[in-house]
Amino acid sequence: MTFAGKLASAALLALAFPALAHPGAVATSPLEFTPPAAGTYELPPIQSVPEGEVLDASGYFRPFADYTRGRITLLGLVYTRCVDAEGCPRATWAFSAVRNLLRTAPQLARRVRLVTLSFDPVHDDHQAVAAYGQRVRGRRDGAEWHFLTTRSRRALAPILDGLGQDLRVAADSSAIPGTEEFTHTLKAFLIDSEGRVREIYSTGYLMPQMIVNDIRTLAREISRSR
Amino acid sequence: MVSITPLRILALGFAIAAALVPRSAAADETCNSPYMANLIKGQEDFVYVWTLGVEGLGDGQDKLVTVDVNPASKTYGKVVASVSVGERGEAHHMGFTDDRRFLWAGGLSSNKIHVFDVAADPAKPKLTKTITNLGDKSGWLGPHTFYALPGRMLVGNLSNVKDKGGVTGMAVYNNKGDFVSSVPMPATDGGDGYGYDIAINPSRNALLTSSFAGYKNYMRPLGELIKDGEAMKNFGNTMVMWDLKALKPKQVLAVPGGPLEIRWSLAKGDNWAITAAALTSKLWLVKQDKDKKWVAKEVATIGDPSKIPLPVDISIRADGKGLWVNTFMDGKTRYFDLTDPEAPKQTYELATGKQVNMISQSWDGKRVYITSSLLANWDKGGADNEQFIRGFAWDGKALKPAFEVDFNKEKLGRAHHMKLGTAKLRPA
Repeated sequence: MTFAGKLASAALLALAFPALAHPGAVATSPLEFTPPAAGTYELPPIQSVPEGEVLDASGYFRPFADYTRGRITLLGLVYTRCVDAEGCPRATWAFSAVRNLLRTAPQLARRVRLVTLSFDPVHDDHQAVAAYGQRVRGRRDGAEWHFLTTRSRRALAPILDGLGQDLRVAADSSAIPGTEEFTHTLKAFLIDSEGRVREIYSTGYLMPQMIVNDIRTLAREISRSR
Repeated sequence: MVSITPLRILALGFAIAAALVPRSAAADETCNSPYMANLIKGQEDFVYVWTLGVEGLGDGQDKLVTVDVNPASKTYGKVVASVSVGERGEAHHMGFTDDRRFLWAGGLSSNKIHVFDVAADPAKPKLTKTITNLGDKSGWLGPHTFYALPGRMLVGNLSNVKDKGGVTGMAVYNNKGDFVSSVPMPATDGGDGYGYDIAINPSRNALLTSSFAGYKNYMRPLGELIKDGEAMKNFGNTMVMWDLKALKPKQVLAVPGGPLEIRWSLAKGDNWAITAAALTSKLWLVKQDKDKKWVAKEVATIGDPSKIPLPVDISIRADGKGLWVNTFMDGKTRYFDLTDPEAPKQTYELATGKQVNMISQSWDGKRVYITSSLLANWDKGGADNEQFIRGFAWDGKALKPAFEVDFNKEKLGRAHHMKLGTAKLRPA
């Protein structure tokens, strides 16, 4: 990533997420309804999370399963250059808000991980996602938040396919790898500790309070099964 | 990549910051799931028509017919593709997945769901999968409504495999076509267990369903059915408001006469839905009262109910200010002013066919598409059995014919449900 690119991304994020300059201050709007109480509803398994290999922010290759099993996981796919207001920045905002809400429940927060995976491995190398993470993570304390990428598009493809995440190059975009503009449906995946997708959130559904409610529902399910 | 200047960064930043304020979801071309991506707010390129096969006409199979509807195209108003599915199973309705890559289309008698890829080449959809386990997995029969949830499809059904009556439920599949879960329509506390349409308002966590009739009724010749007093009792008379997240019924609303298609107003701040009851020819409004309880209220009459005009499809404007209503028996297309949804007023009508069923409009409301077929055994006979898609231009005062495809002449079949398509998928 070039210095100019880093500067541009940092400026964009700072403007898009003024709250990130004050960690923990990501606000959420009140819901216009009373959600069902956590644990009073089911989240049937939708699909399994695919296998794969990812590259962590330190540059180490790891099985994707290291980030999708063993804890309740909120997984989102973004690319750090994305400027579609209804796309990646919105997902990152929601993740920040979820992490912020979880600070009120530290025991639950310890059972949760957030994972942001880039679907632009050509541009987003491990340093790029590390820098992105530093900019958007906010306070160190709270639920884990991992920023990942992959070795190549070939390594990424089975993960996208397995999750059912669409990704296209915009018709009027540059065709040069690492500079093109992508189009994609914003999706975030709530994954149980066994690596099963239990809820999927998209733009009209990305309500941090509801996500935390679902996390509580999964946590209670685990507690009941023990 | 777009070059980034400081001013552009500033402008983009403000745009993003403004857009990040949580808001209720917009919907697709006025009637689709609010979870759908890639809205077509400009000129649509195609209309996909889910078409019932007719024995002895062409290959006799159900098929997805693609009609070019872009006036700038050399093939405007022509059929540019047709994909047959290898059976005649009472093709009826269809719906896009949330990413608009796939179109799911159901057979009311075969109990199959055919999945078409409309993204790889939008002008030439390809049949990629047929789901055959709905009955085995859920017990339901007659997949009717295909309503996109994030990464999933919520399928509203009409009947059940056990007695083929009207008691039914909904099924959830993931986008790959794997069964996820099912939920019965409520059959107690005022519920009749019947199902039909599905419509969601995510900002209220609200899922609203309507009710119609089971296989034993919808597969029976209409002339025979209406003479059977007992069978005529077996139509839905309820709507159900569900907790969307929990997929649990919250309230059963009495709406007699087979409430069919449901449309939520898409206007910002609105919190109401409207439906038409087929047998009583009434428009019903569903909204919350001051105590946040959902209430269903009869708000208008469609035509002369004593003549049973049979309102079968409705299409709401993107701003919630107007509603098209098609009535099958008299072949009329009516426009209601919805400025006051408590008191819709009919302001226009036109006989658009000898029998008309589905009606769809473009996002800007300037183009209106109409098809002819209701059900294989309910369509009219002889010369009245016109089968078509007709395109109209709407200037706010009158419908002006733009094109027509004669599905009988083209040996295609009975033209039923429509979905709009684009040659250029838009960013999500």
